[in-house]
Amino acid sequence: MEPLLSLQIDDPHRTYQPGDELECECQVDAIDASDIQAIETSVLWYTEGKGDEDLGVHYFERRVPNDAEDGDLRPMHRFATVLPNSPLSYSGGIVKVRWCARVRLFLRRGKELFFEQPFHLGAVAPIRI
Amino acid sequence: MLFLLGAVALTTVIVSQILNPTPEVLRPGFGFWLMVVVMASFVLLGGGGVMLTAFQAGASIERRSALVRQAAGIDLISEALPSSQQHPNIPRDADLTNSPGVTLVFRLPTAQMPVWRLTLATLVFLLLTAVTSVVCVIVVNHHLAQTPDWFLTLFAVPLVIANFWAVKYFFTELGVHTRHGPTCFEISHHPLRPNSECEIFVSQAGRFSLPAFTVALVCEEEATYSQGTDIRTETRVVYETEVLRQEDIRIEAGTPFEAHSRLSIPGGVMHSFQSGHNAVRWKFVVRGTPVSGPSMARTFPVLVYPDNQNGQE
Repeated sequence: MEPLLSLQIDDPHRTYQPGDELECECQVDAIDASDIQAIETSVLWYTEGKGDEDLGVHYFERRVPNDAEDGDLRPMHRFATVLPNSPLSYSGGIVKVRWCARVRLFLRRGKELFFEQPFHLGAVAPIRI
Repeated sequence: MLFLLGAVALTTVIVSQILNPTPEVLRPGFGFWLMVVVMASFVLLGGGGVMLTAFQAGASIERRSALVRQAAGIDLISEALPSSQQHPNIPRDADLTNSPGVTLVFRLPTAQMPVWRLTLATLVFLLLTAVTSVVCVIVVNHHLAQTPDWFLTLFAVPLVIANFWAVKYFFTELGVHTRHGPTCFEISHHPLRPNSECEIFVSQAGRFSLPAFTVALVCEEEATYSQGTDIRTETRVVYETEVLRQEDIRIEAGTPFEAHSRLSIPGGVMHSFQSGHNAVRWKFVVRGTPVSGPSMARTFPVLVYPDNQNGQE
């Protein structure tokens, strides 16, 4: 059975302005604590469209079992970050900028899983072609 | 590969010295020790590459990007980066605001026109003219001496035609670069922001008539992508608005054409953006189509920052 990864963004509208605080909580389930090698949580932007993908990490945290009190990384973990001034979310003609919060789970047997939740930064109007 | 080459060669050199010791080659200088130093450097450089590859294979894309960002946070490095920490992925405006204007606050630099076409036209023009001249002199001499060389004469005909084309192309390109005098573009403030206004001043020198002279504010997306072994770049204009139009103007030498205008940057537009393969660029484009001859288009890059409501400035 696949482990369950959950990531929740606090604001249900998922729309933020630069300088706002983004708060998230993530949790892992349906897996043995001893099978988890590390969990990485990040807040990042990436590009989509015609060009090759670019990516920029704004917030990053890597936790290994030694970082948890009882070595168990499964319980709910909260993290927060103040969002930057740029780049803002954008849906252009051939360039798009997307923001998301992402959790990546590394298992002992070398496998890794990830899950992400998109959100919107800023109020740039989409381009209509 | 470098690591393997260095390791094998170093082992061979050391093992051969152990099996057949020759004390005279142990002296410093060209020989044994130089080989050891060179091969050891191969091992170190190659080993570093192997470790880096192994690290990248084991680390997630987010972790690698976070490490790069951490390195960019070091003061010495961050000052050399193309964008500031406060406005990530927006190019710095130092090159755009280091020249004060005469009428308004900043004088914007123009984006350089590519001169490779003019250089190529000049080379072809000079080379072809030299060859054609020599061939024509020989052909004429033969004809004057009543010993015409018809093969050379026939060879000279397409050469002369090609030379005419080269001369025409050279003067057209030269005209594009020199016919229109310098354009001066000044702006009341920089960077620009959505929902704000700014004043512009443009001056055009030269000696020509223009049925229409326009200034437009343009936003262009640029995407670079790999296609097979090629790297291609595609651009697309996503916003363009005319901010100044003057019709039927005549510019005289020593009396440049000058014009002021005000413009509003609309809300909800994307800010300037620059990443590895993608960009959003803003620029002013000054265009003029003369009655005859090549048209004029000069661009003045400008930065648009986000309209931050509660961001840190």
